[in-house]
Amino acid sequence: MSTTAMAFPGNRAVTRRPRRVSGFWPTSPALALLIVFFVAPLLGLLLRSVLDPHPGLQNYAEVFASTTYLRIFMNTFIVATVVTTATLLLAFPVAWFLAVAPRRWASLLFAVIILSMWTNLLTRTYAWMVLLQRTGIINKTLMSWGVIAAPLPLINNLIGVTIGMTYIMLPFMVLPLQGTIRSLDPATFRAASLCGAGRLQVFTRVFVPLVASGIGAGVLMVFVMSLGYFVTPALLGGTSNMMLAELIAQLVQSLLNWGLAGAAALILLVVSLGIYAIQFRFFGIRAAGEVE
Amino acid sequence: MNVTRRTVLYGAGLSLLGARVGSAATNEIVFTSWGGTTQDAQKKAWADPFQKSSGIRVRMDGPTDYGKLKAMVDSGNVSWDVVDVEGDFAVAAAKQGLLEPIDFSVVDRTQLDPRFTSDHYVGSFYYSFVLGFNKTALGKEPKSWADLFDTKGFSGKRTFYKWSAPGVLEIALLADGVPADKLYPLDLDRAFKKLDTIKSDIVWWNGGAQSQQLLASGEAALGQFWNGRVFAVQKDQEGIGISWNQNLTAADLLVVPKGTKNKAEAMKFLAVATAAKPQADMAAATDYAPINTDAAKLLPANERATLPDQHTDGQINLDMNYWADHREDIGKRWYEWQAK
Repeated sequence: MSTTAMAFPGNRAVTRRPRRVSGFWPTSPALALLIVFFVAPLLGLLLRSVLDPHPGLQNYAEVFASTTYLRIFMNTFIVATVVTTATLLLAFPVAWFLAVAPRRWASLLFAVIILSMWTNLLTRTYAWMVLLQRTGIINKTLMSWGVIAAPLPLINNLIGVTIGMTYIMLPFMVLPLQGTIRSLDPATFRAASLCGAGRLQVFTRVFVPLVASGIGAGVLMVFVMSLGYFVTPALLGGTSNMMLAELIAQLVQSLLNWGLAGAAALILLVVSLGIYAIQFRFFGIRAAGEVE
Repeated sequence: MNVTRRTVLYGAGLSLLGARVGSAATNEIVFTSWGGTTQDAQKKAWADPFQKSSGIRVRMDGPTDYGKLKAMVDSGNVSWDVVDVEGDFAVAAAKQGLLEPIDFSVVDRTQLDPRFTSDHYVGSFYYSFVLGFNKTALGKEPKSWADLFDTKGFSGKRTFYKWSAPGVLEIALLADGVPADKLYPLDLDRAFKKLDTIKSDIVWWNGGAQSQQLLASGEAALGQFWNGRVFAVQKDQEGIGISWNQNLTAADLLVVPKGTKNKAEAMKFLAVATAAKPQADMAAATDYAPINTDAAKLLPANERATLPDQHTDGQINLDMNYWADHREDIGKRWYEWQAK
């Protein structure tokens, strides 16, 4: 994650900007790799969506005609939206703490966040299952304390998916946010206070606009990653929370209906890119306005 | 075997990175299965003795991925020589021309269970879907598939295999009173209607490990399980029971993808893998049943008792031919119903 890259534009983007153009070439090995191993196979799958089993748009017709696919598309976007919102709300204070806390505490917390990313995803998801299920630790504890009479439905529904995925997505929101927050000049806030802004005003009218680019980067990353996710939803959600990626995997690996899988994948890709374009434009302008 | 199937599917992205380049050397074949304890047992019971007797090295790969298999055959670059697949896929793949015919001059067909043998596949091992339950959590013992649908008699969550595959629909119909010999062709409307009655009480399992977790914790105190998985929980925990009543058999099958460069070696491997002794060793290690009819004799009585082939009374064979022809249509309806 390029936290340092995100930390810089606020301060020095004006002088650095011209050098960015020539900075393109060092990325060419990575780009070549992506083209060969990602773009080409992706195009292959997308081509199949109009060629398999015979040329035509029948796969797209099937996707759009089916209420199942529409429902699963909806589920996918609902889950991604809820997870992104929850992640943002949780990540904000953490990122703030990381940016302003004494170095020792900050690096300890940072290590905890990074370490959790190293643990196997399935293991972490199973751990949530053990915690959240009706006979799980949380429900058993609450019941033994007499707080609740019957187990809370924390798993096999949207709540379970949200808890599990928010936890997994947290670092992807925290890292860009804390990069942006750290690059802020505290003098800005003092200046705002001196000019008569209250605490709330400083937060909403100075702080939030200044970190908008970090929020944008985090939200975008978490949202797009969530769209393509399916391990955690498959294990912590119910079947009514099925994600599109889960269905695509079924079509490719089990039902061998690659044409239909390609169509569903392309639609998801187009929608994701559309969201990306909108957000990029929105936050791109915002960030540029900051600098100039 | 599908035991770890779903869990390993998630690693598919990673395994793409590890895709093999080029083909195996002549004195080596690649055997692909589902990973986990099942594949470990297959290595020990089949691959190691085969390697010793033939001098042909067996490289393990996995997990089985039908998409990959098809891509290999389509592109003519086949790097898997023997693959462990599910029954309905094998039948469908044979029809689509994705498989080499089995050379029965090398593999001895006379010893093989005819239910799991055809011109294009031989059995790997077979298992049963059984009614598993947690007596401690339930307080009583369910006896039949109908009890899975009796939410008054047995309250709480029940668990079923999540994916569209032979099993759940048959169970629903049996529970609804369809006689075993009238199951096929499946009355899908009736099956889904029956499932509707308990839909909100179902917790689905993706893979074997999850099913065990649900059963052991009592999260779902009864449900449909692979027999070997319930048996493994029984070994660790008191109060776990199995009802073999109308147990539903299905087999994993061994196939040779069309266009492999090591066809002759692959057939020799199949001859060893399906022989009586290696099949018995495999059964002893996994609690799945041998597909070689002479294998059971080689097992001690106490080990035999836990195998599906000792529970043939009332046993029902899931019809893979029916499923091979309808897997796509049923799959569509299945996911539509689930997402509703």
